[in-house]
Amino acid sequence: MAKHSPVIGRYVTFDVDGCEYKVFYLQNGQGVPLVCQHTAGCHNHQWRGLLEDEEITKKYNVIAYDLARHGKSDPPLNKDWWKEEYRLTADHFVNFIVAFCDALELKDPIFMGSSFGGNVALQLALRKSDRFRAVIPVEAAANAPGFFLDVWRHPHANAAQVCASGVWDLMAPQSPERDRWLTWHYYTQGSEAFRGDLYFYSVDHDMRDSLSKIDTRRCPVVMMTGTYDYLTPPEATEKTASGIPGGIYIEMEDIGHFPMSENYPVFRVYLKEALRIIAEKTA
Amino acid sequence: MDIREWAVRFSEASDADPAIGAMARYFTCSYLFDMGEAKAIVEMVDGKIYRINISPAPMDPYDFALRASAATWREFARPIPRPMFHGIWAASFRKDLRIEGNTLALMQNLRNFTLQFELLRRVGVPV
Repeated sequence: MAKHSPVIGRYVTFDVDGCEYKVFYLQNGQGVPLVCQHTAGCHNHQWRGLLEDEEITKKYNVIAYDLARHGKSDPPLNKDWWKEEYRLTADHFVNFIVAFCDALELKDPIFMGSSFGGNVALQLALRKSDRFRAVIPVEAAANAPGFFLDVWRHPHANAAQVCASGVWDLMAPQSPERDRWLTWHYYTQGSEAFRGDLYFYSVDHDMRDSLSKIDTRRCPVVMMTGTYDYLTPPEATEKTASGIPGGIYIEMEDIGHFPMSENYPVFRVYLKEALRIIAEKTA
Repeated sequence: MDIREWAVRFSEASDADPAIGAMARYFTCSYLFDMGEAKAIVEMVDGKIYRINISPAPMDPYDFALRASAATWREFARPIPRPMFHGIWAASFRKDLRIEGNTLALMQNLRNFTLQFELLRRVGVPV
């Protein structure tokens, strides 16, 4: 018997730094906007559990977009993008997110992202504290070197499998096998963008000297990292949070770098706590 | 478990693994497991174990090698490994695992090799 999900998908077109983007997003819920960024080389289906979480979507308008060049969001429509190597910068990433929120006329959204989405959440807290109610950087740190690798798109290897299996043990062995394989499946679909995303993640993102400038009275920061994350291990996130005046760190037990996708039932327990803290601080 | 018994158990587990079998064709490479006190060269041909050399000589060839202390290999073999011992990337970033040799061959076979490596959780290690 057919069953429809309450989640809907739409496209919205807007300009960022001279690039025309037609962006696909999934949406469900009502209340405070909760804007969600997928991980590098992936797409918004990583947020499938949250998008259908009845308890959270009763109070929050959950919106998960595909960053340009990912999923159903194409590269810039007005550029010969295939003639240049893709390297995502912090400036463009921040401008994209703000332009997306403007396009949807979102008022005081909470921004949540994982991995490179978590790192850009820190950038937003620093640069756009007037635009966001709060940020939830997941699996993030002030810097995350070491993953901008040529092997992600080496022509002598199957890039789809290299990316998907290369991130396999970013997940916890306790996470359900089916959800880990779904995450693997998503990662086979984004290999061309993965390395360019990681330019931001491992090279252009470095906030070690600016954490103290984040104003958490205007934009609370609640960081969360899983114990099985080897890229941004718990101690890296904890150190980052401790460098932010008023920064909060929550450690997530027995989960890895893709918590919303690899084990949503575990992730939601911590997410609800983060949302509770934010509601309290922004009441 | 001595290394001979380990080789038999590892071969049986790998050759019977349905996830490896689902994409076995062209899974052809050779690699060294250097566990300190024990070493083995595994030779794969089209997804099946062709041979495991349990007493490799200094000049015996292989494509790539995984080298770590015996203690780390024992951590790999726990049914649920502790954080940072739960894969070759994790252990090479955060622990004493070194991946050497032709790493492109590893990347070309990464999907199946990763599955095979995790068989150690069921098979155990000979150190």
